[in-house]
Amino acid sequence: MFDDRSPIYRQIADRIKADVLSGALQGDEQVMSTNQYAAFYRINPATAAKAFQQLVDEGVLYKKRGIGMFVSPAARDELRAQRRERFFADVVDPMVAEAKAIGIPLGDIVKRIDELERNA
Amino acid sequence: MRFPSRLLAAQIYFAGILWAAFYAVTTLITICIAIFGTLDRSVWEGATQVPRWFALFVGVALVREFLPLYIAHGQTRRQFGAQAAVTVALYAPVLSALLVVGYLLETLLYSVAGWTQELARPHLFASPTQVPLVFTEYLVEFLVWIVAGTFMGAAFYRWQGGGLLSIPFGIGLVVLGEAAIGADLRLPFISMPLGVVSTPTVLTALATGLGCFLLGLAMTWPIIRDVPLRNRLT
Amino acid sequence: MNIEVSGLRVNYGDVRAIDDMTFSLDGGKIYGLLGRNGSGKTTLMSVLAGFRRESGGTVRVGGHPVFENAAITREICLIRDAGETIDIDKVEDALYFAEWLRPHWDAAYAGELLDRFGLRRNMKVKEMSKGQRSALGVVVGLAGRSQLTMFDESYLGMDAPSRYAFYDALLADFMEHPRTIILSTHLIEEYSSLFEEVVIIDRGRLVLHEESQTLLSRGTSVTGPAGQVEAFTAGLTVLGAKRLGPTASAMVYGDLDEAQRRKAREAGLELGPIAMQDLFVHLTEGSGDAAPAVPAADASANPFGDAR
Repeated sequence: MFDDRSPIYRQIADRIKADVLSGALQGDEQVMSTNQYAAFYRINPATAAKAFQQLVDEGVLYKKRGIGMFVSPAARDELRAQRRERFFADVVDPMVAEAKAIGIPLGDIVKRIDELERNA
Repeated sequence: MRFPSRLLAAQIYFAGILWAAFYAVTTLITICIAIFGTLDRSVWEGATQVPRWFALFVGVALVREFLPLYIAHGQTRRQFGAQAAVTVALYAPVLSALLVVGYLLETLLYSVAGWTQELARPHLFASPTQVPLVFTEYLVEFLVWIVAGTFMGAAFYRWQGGGLLSIPFGIGLVVLGEAAIGADLRLPFISMPLGVVSTPTVLTALATGLGCFLLGLAMTWPIIRDVPLRNRLT
Repeated sequence: MNIEVSGLRVNYGDVRAIDDMTFSLDGGKIYGLLGRNGSGKTTLMSVLAGFRRESGGTVRVGGHPVFENAAITREICLIRDAGETIDIDKVEDALYFAEWLRPHWDAAYAGELLDRFGLRRNMKVKEMSKGQRSALGVVVGLAGRSQLTMFDESYLGMDAPSRYAFYDALLADFMEHPRTIILSTHLIEEYSSLFEEVVIIDRGRLVLHEESQTLLSRGTSVTGPAGQVEAFTAGLTVLGAKRLGPTASAMVYGDLDEAQRRKAREAGLELGPIAMQDLFVHLTEGSGDAAPAVPAADASANPFGDAR
């Protein structure tokens, strides 16, 4: 389920973000309640609530009083924009470092990307 | 204070079942003696030496089992003490009544079979059919033995081995009570007639019995009023 | 129900089981009470439940002293291994008295829980397995719906499916009937996600009281070349360090800001989370002298005081 090390609320928040990014959760769609989350993942409801609060603060979710939490319509685009911004730092740079460490010429990487692009 | 209905009901239910079994066994022994030997006295009279030990056990169990149960269910020691006192006060007459019924059933059996229901020991009563006297004698006896049990049970619960020191006082209570009904004292290794100490009447017996009961409660209360629950019963 | 413990001392004869303990809990949450064997967990809870009188200091639950206070103790339930509430002939007898003595007893729910744990009413308690006894304690504790409900290692002998059934029931019932719940446990890995706050005690003293998620976010493992690790952790609260050849790993307690994290990355250090169990082990291991040194003057950085 969750690894018990990094704070669970961050993991829940990350998972909901991933669902929003993949489209599994659509804009204005209601997400499960904190209690459902707590019961499902066997965690303290306050921890689940903390994850939701973080997502509300980040604008991913919005609250409808007395009804529940919903995905912000703009959430997907914003998350994509954020991820794009961090893509090179988070994904490409470590990959290049790894390639250097194990001796893969960068040209091979570019070639591979070209192949994938052609096959897509 | 709330009436201890369930505490009392549980005790009476248990006592009723035991009594039925005990009566059946006693009757069986009676019949065996009649068949294989000579039956010339009340067997139930002898049998009634046993229930007071049960009464002592009930007194011990009240403290050992029900005090922790009460505290763990959010009751105070004071609430438990009051409920236990009422329970004992009402339970002893029930036990006594069960023994009275035993005597009456025996009288019926003996008269049908044509046996003689002679008494072998000194009593407050001269015949098993003197119901008020029989009832009084065993009432006093049970009251005293139960509180002797709660007192010693409390001492052992609180101080474990140190509870040994309470035994002389417990015996003292019992001697006082037995003297009040003019009975023989029959404990392991000790047997002495107490009738000589007093010539009991119903009134002195009841008064002494009540006094012993209150004394026993008064001796138990200081032990349990702030007793910590044991972390583990050994 | 809120709980205030102030300067609490509990002695067993010459032995001091609790020594000058002070903390307060707001209530309405699930708390984890962690401590090694003999650290005073059972004693602390016994005092909170009025099972035992404090030797010194004060204990208030819902704003009132507890010991022999019927108005408060009726709202408190402590289920211990000693089995005070269940050690009576049969399962149905235990429920008979619980129903009669507990003001908020839910008999239907108790029946439901019995089924869930596979217990039958006619079972003799003395003949039940350790796990079944624990499960019966859980039934009595949950169905009592007490405002302050405490379970002292109420999983002993339970197999994994029963423990999960316990956690599920506890969470569901807590959400439906919010109340103050304190759980003591050695199974920190399994329990940690249930807690909203954690109280760690050691040798009768409070080590730490913290929101569990905050506690987790404060613990960081720093791994990398030994020299770099040493340089980076200088001046930080280091709970423990290990070394394997040229690589060292240190457990740091305290918030790391973004600048520090960047510095670590630049130095080729790997930062990772620490499991609650590991934090617990490092916060409570060793003798008092070997405990992590914390600058006494800087109270804000002191992980061993009541940070809340």
